[in-house]
Amino acid sequence: MAQKITGAADVVRTIPDGSHIALGGFAIARNVIAVVHELIRQNKRNLTVSQGVAGLDTDLLVGADLVGRLIIGGGSLDRFGPVHCINRARETGSLAFEDWTSLSICFRYLAGALGLSFIPIKSLLASEILERLERGGAKRELSPMQCPFTGEAYLAMTALTPDVSFVHVQSADAEGNCRIDGPRWENEEQAKAARRLIVIAEEIVPTEAIQKEPGRTIIPAHRVEAVIHQPFGAHPTAVFGRYDYDAAHLKLYVDHSKRPERIGEYIQNYILSTRNHDAYLEKVGGLRHLEGLKADPVLGY
Amino acid sequence: MTEIRATEIMVAAGARELKDSEIVVVGIGLPQVACFLAKGTHAPGLTPLLEIGVANMRPLHTPVGLAYSRIFYRATCWSGFLDVMGMNLHRGVVDTGFLGALEVDRFGNINTTLSREEGSVRYFNGSAGGNDVASLAKRVIVIMRHEKRKLPNAVAHLTSPGFVGGKTRQELSLRGGGPHRIITDKCVIGFDSASRSAALLSLHEGASLEDVLANTGFPLLLPDKPSLTPLPTAQELRLLREEIDPKGVYLG
Repeated sequence: MAQKITGAADVVRTIPDGSHIALGGFAIARNVIAVVHELIRQNKRNLTVSQGVAGLDTDLLVGADLVGRLIIGGGSLDRFGPVHCINRARETGSLAFEDWTSLSICFRYLAGALGLSFIPIKSLLASEILERLERGGAKRELSPMQCPFTGEAYLAMTALTPDVSFVHVQSADAEGNCRIDGPRWENEEQAKAARRLIVIAEEIVPTEAIQKEPGRTIIPAHRVEAVIHQPFGAHPTAVFGRYDYDAAHLKLYVDHSKRPERIGEYIQNYILSTRNHDAYLEKVGGLRHLEGLKADPVLGY
Repeated sequence: MTEIRATEIMVAAGARELKDSEIVVVGIGLPQVACFLAKGTHAPGLTPLLEIGVANMRPLHTPVGLAYSRIFYRATCWSGFLDVMGMNLHRGVVDTGFLGALEVDRFGNINTTLSREEGSVRYFNGSAGGNDVASLAKRVIVIMRHEKRKLPNAVAHLTSPGFVGGKTRQELSLRGGGPHRIITDKCVIGFDSASRSAALLSLHEGASLEDVLANTGFPLLLPDKPSLTPLPTAQELRLLREEIDPKGVYLG
């Protein structure tokens, strides 16, 4: 099979403005930071972003004003507080916002991954989340329905089929066989629902290693278009078994993101004025600093 | 032993709601503390699940997040939303959904989306798995600090349904059994089976009925004589203080 290793900049160049991209991070874990930074450097505009629980990745894209429509189940930076840029955009109405739930986003990706045009769910019923979706831009994505066999009430939701999905994984081989350690939230469904799938791997392992334990392959190579090899590619978020989140840098980010006049400063200093992710890693402290974040092999953090 | 804190009575009351061998989907924070306390005492066979795809974790360090490597430790299964929330919650096998909240109202409706202050709206985290848990678990327990603004007559945003408008779950087409308890640092609240409205069950030591009523934003149904919430045992206090939350992240 083909060798698929490429760079973030080359991949991002192939993504048109206005694309629907699905991001694989959750709060402050396994965010696709290397790709998000490159989307910002290349000023990809008017993106539709979907995600189960948005974290730093999507908050940065919204802070850079590159998102036109947001489809998420929730958003948080865990102990570092709320996703300020996303919440502010909601408050000012500066983007089209669809507020779902973790499971409904997952089911919609699952429908996409299975090639179904819709999927029923028992969540959302009788909630204000549903009322707002029906009133807003998601009206055509939802319909109350009854089971044709039992008559039970469900909510039917359309499938989510992103143009491109990005998932950050611990390891992959050069062909794109991916291992994900730790919980995987909606990554599998999100990955397989998309028309194009790009993975970012901390480490490239030989295919022989994959063949020895194929049960650990969560995303198989034949679905993967490209593999971006980027150590510390999720910094400052955590990658289980590899490194912990960078608490000092996340605090610094929140100091900027909670004030609209300061988020631009963060983007300028850490993203636009660094050439690529390696240069960004140097800027945030380099090898010595990153060594200090490395996970204990027993604890995984 | 130092004086027992109201937060310790609260999580011990939460823990005692959980039975051995139950399957529990736990939210971040106080629900986790109560769940680990139950597991460390009377409910060793309890299976805690995290929405992100973690089963039966036994963390060493107090976790303060959900996608947070500290809480993945010593789990027996890693999966994802589809497994935990799809093939457990949606499948109908989860006994208890244990959640925190920004606001809970008299019908057990939960808000985790926004607050309204002086006409302006501030957004928070949204549902994540909260709506799914509240819609699908066999029963739902909410644990939170007792403040008037957190217990309003009607939530500012109905993120996760309880007995909406006093209706039954069947009338609402919801599968789960709905709200079971609201446990605060002042009292334990249940729901009247006829009106499905919040009803006081017990007061914690140090909390008076007047104090509870003054700090509750909805009319609370009252028993003839509210009982006293049992105090945590010495074993429960030792576990809380030495193992589960030694730094007082949640109980301080």
